[in-house]
Amino acid sequence: MNRFEVEQDPKSRDTYYLNMGPQHPSTHGVMRIKLHLDGERIISAEPIIGYGHRAHEKMAENRDYIQFLPNPSRVDYLGGMIYNVGYCQAVERAMDIEVPERAEYIRIICNELNRISSHLLWLGTFLMDLGAFTPFLYAFDDREKILDILDRITGSRLTYCYARFGGMILDIDDVFLDNVSSFCTYFVERLKEYEKLVIGNVIFRERTIGVGIFAPDLVQKYAITGPCLRAMGHENDVRKDEPYGIYDRFDFDVPTQTEGDCFARTLVRMEEMRQSIRIIEQAVSDMPDGLFLAARVPRRIRPPEGDYYFCVESPRGNFGMYIASDGSDIPFRLKLRTPSFSHISTMPAVMAGTMLADAVAILGSIDIVVPEIDR
Amino acid sequence: MIADKLSSLLRDTTEVQYDARGFHVQHTASADTLLQIADAFLSENFHLEMITCQDRRENDDAFRLIYQFNQYGTPQRHVIHADIAPDATAPSIAATFPAADWYEREIFDMYGVAFDGHPDLKRILMEEDYFGHPLLKDFVDPPSPYRSEGDAS
Repeated sequence: MNRFEVEQDPKSRDTYYLNMGPQHPSTHGVMRIKLHLDGERIISAEPIIGYGHRAHEKMAENRDYIQFLPNPSRVDYLGGMIYNVGYCQAVERAMDIEVPERAEYIRIICNELNRISSHLLWLGTFLMDLGAFTPFLYAFDDREKILDILDRITGSRLTYCYARFGGMILDIDDVFLDNVSSFCTYFVERLKEYEKLVIGNVIFRERTIGVGIFAPDLVQKYAITGPCLRAMGHENDVRKDEPYGIYDRFDFDVPTQTEGDCFARTLVRMEEMRQSIRIIEQAVSDMPDGLFLAARVPRRIRPPEGDYYFCVESPRGNFGMYIASDGSDIPFRLKLRTPSFSHISTMPAVMAGTMLADAVAILGSIDIVVPEIDR
Repeated sequence: MIADKLSSLLRDTTEVQYDARGFHVQHTASADTLLQIADAFLSENFHLEMITCQDRRENDDAFRLIYQFNQYGTPQRHVIHADIAPDATAPSIAATFPAADWYEREIFDMYGVAFDGHPDLKRILMEEDYFGHPLLKDFVDPPSPYRSEGDAS
């Protein structure tokens, strides 16, 4: 099990540096954490990022708003639908484009299905990092069901490009709604199984309770958002605080825990999946007829000159898009504020003083997506 | 209130239409007051949502630093615009908001804007031995032996 490359610190015989990554499985992508260790105790940790930098922000300055449509879902490939829809909503608000009711409901269903599939992948890989293989197979099986449902209407499995300015590119049908309803019924029961399988497990509890606690002062200093924030007792969710789309019409709770450790983050995400199911069920039963794409959408997408900021609740936290328009077809500047970037920058503060094995649990529990950090 | 604390530090304050723009107040400040501005926001329980930059050398002969502060709960976004001359440096607010550490490194990496007092100012996304700053408007991608002439740059 000698996975790590060990280099001796020239200054001291007792401490050493260890490179966790860039190819380590628990970094979930290509990222390196430079650990300064005293035995198995972490003295300091420095994340080194950028291995997957694809220059999305530079690309945005070289193409017009429509040509940038496929990019956002590549920024975070696990929450691709939410990013794709979020980008469209940002431009729609800047341009004041109206979206038909039916499209809004389709967006809600797709967003929440995407959130569940992202949380399921997180659950599986997190537990596999901790040494449990079975939940990984369970979670991927269920995730596959969601991908099949979305694949049928969007044509893609991960990097969706389904939303357009003013609606969706294709309509849904009754088979889709039936599939979604039966998945909801199935998944609510399945969640109970997950809880039995995972939450009660002694090894899992020992590995996560009291591990990787975010100190309360980190919240304001690092702008922590999403499930990591809610695991610390803050009831903040963009869907509630500044509802975008039609989220204000749905009845759902924002789950919180107070401990702020890896276990609390797990509980929050488990409950979030249940709340997503609630939202989907309401959206399916209220689904209106009508247009799925606005009849009149401006042919040229040119937001009026000025700055715009639009944020959505991604599975990982607050994803914001800052668009500076100079009135032309091409964004003058498009900045992607990604939650994983903020969360991974807290790692020096969170990991220092913990044990090496805990570093794996902490990294898994904050649910990072490396392409989202590197952009 | 944040408005009272900021009034002496800022040059120009505009209320913006939140429904259309997504933020509430836009301020213009000079770069040397950024540290006091950051302190004021910290004491009023704001967090630093992001820092970014615009290459406005063609328009205003300046780089524009954009700081966005927000509150948890009901959003209250303040955006600070601070223009600096192309060869000037800006003060680092990483001591007040540790989140600024990485955002400032990113701006240094992408625009070449240096921050005084930053704990460890080095490239973050591009590799350490990279030359050039990719998000500059006049950036030209250096030729690569791995790319043929027909490839889009």
